[in-house]
Amino acid sequence: MSLSVKHLLGIKEITTQDIQTIFRTADNFKQVLQRPIKKVPALRDTTIANIFFENSTRTRISFELAEKRLSADTINFSASGSSVSKGETLIDTVHNILAMKVDMVVMRHSASGAPWFLSNHIDASIINAGDGTNEHPTQALLDAFSMREKLGDLSGKRIAIIGDIMHSRVALSNIFCLQKLGAEVTVAGPPTLIPKHIESLGVKVQYDVKKALQWCDVANVLRIQLERQNKPLFSTLREYALFYGVNKQMLDSLEKEIIIMHPGPINRGVEINSDVADSKQSIILDQVENGVAIRMAVLYLLSSKAEVIE
Amino acid sequence: MSSIVRQAKIVDTQSEFHEKVVDIFIENGFIKAIDLKLDIAADEVIAANGCFVTPGFVDVFADYREPGFEHKETIVSGLKAAASGGFTDVFLAPNTNPVVSTKSIVEFVQQKAKGNIVALYPLGAITQDIEGKSLAEMMDMSQHGAMAFTDGWKPVQNANLFLKALEYVKSFNGILLQIPLDASLAAGGLMHEGEISTRLGMAGIPILAETVMIHRDLELVRYTGSRLHIMGVSTAAGLQMIRDAKKEGLNVTCSVTPYHLSLNDKALLTYDSVYKVSPVLRSEQDRKALIEGLKDGTIDCIASHHRPQEWDAKAKEFEYASDGMNVQEIAFQIVIDAVGNEVSLERVIDAFTIQPRKIFGLGNVSINKNEKASLTLFSLNDSFIFTENKMQSLSRNNPFITKEFKSRIVGIFNHSQTHLNQ
Repeated sequence: MSLSVKHLLGIKEITTQDIQTIFRTADNFKQVLQRPIKKVPALRDTTIANIFFENSTRTRISFELAEKRLSADTINFSASGSSVSKGETLIDTVHNILAMKVDMVVMRHSASGAPWFLSNHIDASIINAGDGTNEHPTQALLDAFSMREKLGDLSGKRIAIIGDIMHSRVALSNIFCLQKLGAEVTVAGPPTLIPKHIESLGVKVQYDVKKALQWCDVANVLRIQLERQNKPLFSTLREYALFYGVNKQMLDSLEKEIIIMHPGPINRGVEINSDVADSKQSIILDQVENGVAIRMAVLYLLSSKAEVIE
Repeated sequence: MSSIVRQAKIVDTQSEFHEKVVDIFIENGFIKAIDLKLDIAADEVIAANGCFVTPGFVDVFADYREPGFEHKETIVSGLKAAASGGFTDVFLAPNTNPVVSTKSIVEFVQQKAKGNIVALYPLGAITQDIEGKSLAEMMDMSQHGAMAFTDGWKPVQNANLFLKALEYVKSFNGILLQIPLDASLAAGGLMHEGEISTRLGMAGIPILAETVMIHRDLELVRYTGSRLHIMGVSTAAGLQMIRDAKKEGLNVTCSVTPYHLSLNDKALLTYDSVYKVSPVLRSEQDRKALIEGLKDGTIDCIASHHRPQEWDAKAKEFEYASDGMNVQEIAFQIVIDAVGNEVSLERVIDAFTIQPRKIFGLGNVSINKNEKASLTLFSLNDSFIFTENKMQSLSRNNPFITKEFKSRIVGIFNHSQTHLNQ
């Protein structure tokens, strides 16, 4: 059992079969995580570098925990801002770390395509932990994995992604992943936050959040990045919350009970109200839990150990 | 010094031997005799059977990076690349450091190119230090040999300033060149906005960024009656606006780069920074429209947009990599390869030779007796593999390295000198 790729650069680079393989492996690891002893020796003597050129708390912790549960040795490297601002090039930074005999690299970077670029210059396997406005593949995998837990086969299921689609690597990875699994996707939000050509990816566009919620089985609500407030993308957070925020009243008015997801961190009272985030319909904390199992699966399958053990 | 080119086919509508296979005898920089067969001895004999000979190629926009960026290219290495690419005349981008915005830098450039087989014409900056704030000394630069004026890679954004520039150059019949790009609409963009940019998660530059600028500049030309050359047109919509403006009789001409005729935004699918260029590579539909524009003459001439970058400048994340492609020495091959079946050779040669000379008043060159010998010799039935060690440029940011072309530049004649490619 292994994947068709050497790196996990994005969902667009992997096959549906790869996704299913990751899910089956994650099923096993999720069971492991319920045991009294949550650790397996699968990646013993494998060293993994978590290189974060952009701030991250939850993704970095999730990866680190996944690595530790697999008995890998880990090192963490964080640089605030880009590598360029420090004067060292990305290739140099990574070569320096690899020179210390590191086997795999988990990287977050502010530039779209940075993992692609790196993959052309180094031998180690690269796992993309988010690159610019491109992809965040492990997030999409854990999102789909969490949906699958609730709904079974996602084929024909309707997923609405709500919020800042334009700047979201989560949205793009989700779209590719859900489509590969046969689901239908609608993106919803203010027109300024929806890429002009998004329909060319085969998704529907809806500017009315209520209608999107009415349509879907699952709503994946994205974070509004407060730091983008200075761009002329929408007026105020108040107006955003008023017209695009998801609240309990909205959910109660729907004909069916839908599932609510959010990749975190949540801006309570902006894109999602507390009465929604903390409701029975929300699987936000399941997502976090599944994140570790998914990342264990990805790390394991991309390590050289996967084939040896088979 | 005398040379004889034997049995080359002339492509030059202004020559009485157009489309005939001839011998050409060149002495001291002039065509002294030309006929189907010449019985003259010369110091240098070039057997050109199966080759074509045309007036020398003109490149209306190339960036040799000197002064200031000599590790990327120098005027001398750039001119070697030009000769290798069949160009006898090159217009030099002013985006150097210091920029070409005073007479002394114009003279520096001329001094560096003195005695070279290729003629180099500095383009002066429109605004002081290319800051887009106030007018540079265009009149003085013009008097001292600046060919025309442009802010090059940084098109003038302020409409009033560009209006004044267009008016200002009227007194000496100057021409402005401009890349059509509205910086506010292009802000943050890395590539053509479309399906591919959406798929790649890269910020797009909408077609609008070009068309809004072309619209503005055409209005300014309509108002001032001045002359404008739009370079690096990249979109079908922008091209159509220029086509309409020409029909209306506005004083506007335009050029296209080799790579916009040859490549589209799909080249960026692997985030390879060698394809990061300005203006950005557009869609296949735009590329086809540009070929049509070259065919029907809306596109007057070719601008290589030659922009060498050293390895380090390109070996970066796409967003941080420098833009530009190093294409001058295979500009002709790229164009022929891209448009060969659709545009006549005569029209391609017109775009490389006759039109730029007409637009910028370089003085006509035709392949006739007693004319100045400014000639390019090439073959279209060859196997030419473009390799790194054939490159004359100091940099290597060229995606066509290792590509095989059917055409080959044999050499050039200019300034009483001969250059033959190995």
